Amino acid sequence: MRSGLAALLGMGVLAAVPPALGFHPYYLFLLSTAFLLAAVASAWNLLAYAGPISFGHAAFFGLGAYGAALASLGGLSPWGAIALGGLAGAAGAAGVGLLSIRLRGAYLALGTLACAELLRGLALIWSEVTGGGAGLAGIPALPVLPWLPRVLTEGRAGAYYLALALLGAALGLFALIRRSRVGLAFAALREEEERASLLGLRPLPWTLLAFALSGLVTALCGGLYAHVVRVVEPDLVFSRHYSILPLVMATFGGLHTLLGPAAAAIALYLLSELVLHPLLPALHQVGYALALIAVILYLPGGLAGLRRGGRRAHP
Amino acid sequence: MALGFSMILGVSRSLNLAHGDLVVLGGYVGYSLWAAAGLSPVLLLPVAALALAPAALVWDWLLKRTPEPKELSSLVLTFGLSLLLQTVMRAIWRGEYRLIAESSLGASLQLGTLALNRGRVLAAVAALAVVGLLWLALTRTRWGQAVRATSIDPQAAALVGINVDGARRSTFLLALGLSGATGVLFATLHYVHPAAGVELTLMAIVLSIWAGVGHLRSVLAAGLLLGMIEALTVTGWGPGWREPVVALMLLGSLLARSGGLARGHAH
Amino acid sequence: MPILEGRGVSVAFGGLSALRGVDVAIEEREVVGLLGPNGSGKSTLFNVLGGLLRPTSGEVWFRGQRITGGPPWVAGRLGIGRTFQIPRPFAGLSVLDSVLVGVTFRTRHRYRRAADRRAEAERLLGLVGLADKAGARAAALSLGEMKRLELAVALSSRPALLLLDELASGLSPKGREEVVLFYARLRERGMTIFAVEHSFGLLAQVADRMLVLDQGQIVVDGPPPAVLASPRVAAAYLGEEER
Ligand SMILES: Nc1ncnc2c1ncn2[C@@H]1O[C@H](COP(=O)(O)OP(=O)(O)O)[C@@H](O)[C@H]1O
Ligand SMILES: [Mg+2]
Repeated sequence: MRSGLAALLGMGVLAAVPPALGFHPYYLFLLSTAFLLAAVASAWNLLAYAGPISFGHAAFFGLGAYGAALASLGGLSPWGAIALGGLAGAAGAAGVGLLSIRLRGAYLALGTLACAELLRGLALIWSEVTGGGAGLAGIPALPVLPWLPRVLTEGRAGAYYLALALLGAALGLFALIRRSRVGLAFAALREEEERASLLGLRPLPWTLLAFALSGLVTALCGGLYAHVVRVVEPDLVFSRHYSILPLVMATFGGLHTLLGPAAAAIALYLLSELVLHPLLPALHQVGYALALIAVILYLPGGLAGLRRGGRRAHP
Repeated sequence: MALGFSMILGVSRSLNLAHGDLVVLGGYVGYSLWAAAGLSPVLLLPVAALALAPAALVWDWLLKRTPEPKELSSLVLTFGLSLLLQTVMRAIWRGEYRLIAESSLGASLQLGTLALNRGRVLAAVAALAVVGLLWLALTRTRWGQAVRATSIDPQAAALVGINVDGARRSTFLLALGLSGATGVLFATLHYVHPAAGVELTLMAIVLSIWAGVGHLRSVLAAGLLLGMIEALTVTGWGPGWREPVVALMLLGSLLARSGGLARGHAH
Repeated sequence: MPILEGRGVSVAFGGLSALRGVDVAIEEREVVGLLGPNGSGKSTLFNVLGGLLRPTSGEVWFRGQRITGGPPWVAGRLGIGRTFQIPRPFAGLSVLDSVLVGVTFRTRHRYRRAADRRAEAERLLGLVGLADKAGARAAALSLGEMKRLELAVALSSRPALLLLDELASGLSPKGREEVVLFYARLRERGMTIFAVEHSFGLLAQVADRMLVLDQGQIVVDGPPPAVLASPRVAAAYLGEEER
């Protein structure tokens, strides 16, 4: 409840930022990217809430970006295209989720990594559709919403508010799930899958649902990104960064918490871009790596979900 | 290369996702020494292996401290280390593609009607020699006994007076040394670049699954098989297919051996 | 017709055979005790009967359906509930949520309203004396409380049959008395129970019938007095309890 209020308050403050910055395009772009990463980290956290640790969210981001770009270039309206990309990501994620039938824990994580690498490789090869290494350019810009002041919906400010809205939606979805039966099923399967199934809970449909929801949000971010940057390339949207960063950010911010992953994402990204980047231009990614290493070694409480889920022999 | 990966897994139940990046690091170190000092590749092998010794100590120290379940936490931790290494390598070598283009290696070796590239022959001979030596060391020495005992049951090994920490540390030193040397060999045959490590890691995992952890002779056979599949893929469909095929093999192998990598113990 | 039946159940872990051709049949509303020295295969038998472990050979039937080797959620939905000898709590969940899982997702007597589910979960916690711990994290409970939670979780899916694995071991004498009371209360409600306990005396107070397992085989089957009189029991089991 309290975190819900904090979220609303935070959203309100963030909504007032663009006018305060005088719509400075660079800072708006930086912040909207931070919000997209925060939404992806929240989506990653939603999946982790149900148990699986993913090393392959780039697959879903890329599916969303390519799905939306192709649909948009094919003549669909950008909004419809982003939605379609989201569905592609959800379907792809559910497909990856099928791996959970045979794989658990670290091996499921490796499986998601392999899927992401596979998709990236295929996107590079299948150039008739994806444009190969050069990617797809000329994606139309998002249309201006007629019923809102132009200054809020055009260009960088528009992207800013859309990314913020998407982040809000991702957090809202997670908050709803945590309070519902779905969240109870996710948490029970995460904590002790066998016990939960002995109580009549069938794991697979719930795991697939978690993958699909997480993939949906991640792919919507990908679709929005494609329409903001207006080009997609395999090495850009299937970049391993979209697999590594959400993991870093969510574990750093606190697994399974509502706001931790999003807050950590925004803080780490801004720290990295605004502080580390000017200081050590080539090395600024080191911050993420160090954050992840520190959290694994020194904050085992922040990794409560990681410490379980291993296989044990039960007497 | 997979040997190092599978030894670490055996001894510390840690999956080292930065393995390929360490190999690439070895390649870059080798390249720099070769370019700066003109060392011959044969001399570069031990030098690059030694150069990774500090990294081995760091890896050992970090992986000893990962919480349970070891496999998953070590995976996350080394994912971070992989990112760290890639960033550092990109900062130092600016993402350039490097090749140890020693002309003596490019020459072909005439064996009857067979013309062989000397670099490849050197790589093959070195790999065989390493596997042979390692096999001898693991089966014939006290150190080998300690390492094998540690990977089967560290607590029992400690009870019978084996220095488990020492065995672990020396395994890391050896495994990362192998990676460094492999990196040099790799750099004589292929261009190295900072992002090449992931594919190498995936290959090491595939090999470990195929061969079963710590089985030296089967690692050799699996390595040959993987090399052949890779070569066929590249010549048949083009180099772009290499990455997806490796990823596909990893998926297939994981699903086929879902009991887990650590199931087969060393010997 | 028995509610639960194991036919010729054998389990081998590598070279070690934990169960060798065990036949058991539990009738509706029967309370059956299972005795046997450590390592005789009692928990393994429960794992097989509850659908967690596929036997090397043999079959398990529950109310006319074959459930051999799982999946576990089928056994759970059909009406088998169980506790674990070493408690397996939903460590990160609250005590109340741990019980809500079964209450929410059970197939029988499901409540549509969240308030009703919560009331039912609180009732179950009251039954095992954990009402004041509802908000605590399951992992933070003491062993005695954890065992009570095991029972509440097992009951939360409204099972027709309970497999109870050493509910009383590790408890204080007072805790053991309470366990006897639990057994009596469940029995009054017409629950079918198959229970492992280490103490012959405790089981004899509650069981209609007793089985003795030794080295993976049922060696004695009968009412408590007959089991006590059996020389096999003295040899295989009581000798150990004296120590
Ligand atoms: N998962 C397992 N893997 C290998 N051996 C096991 C496993 N579970 C139980 N055992 C062995 O099977 C035998 C029976 O164990 P168990 O059923 O737990 O006995 P009890 O509950 O009667 O004490 C023991 O020798 C035990 O070591
Ligand atoms: Mg037992």
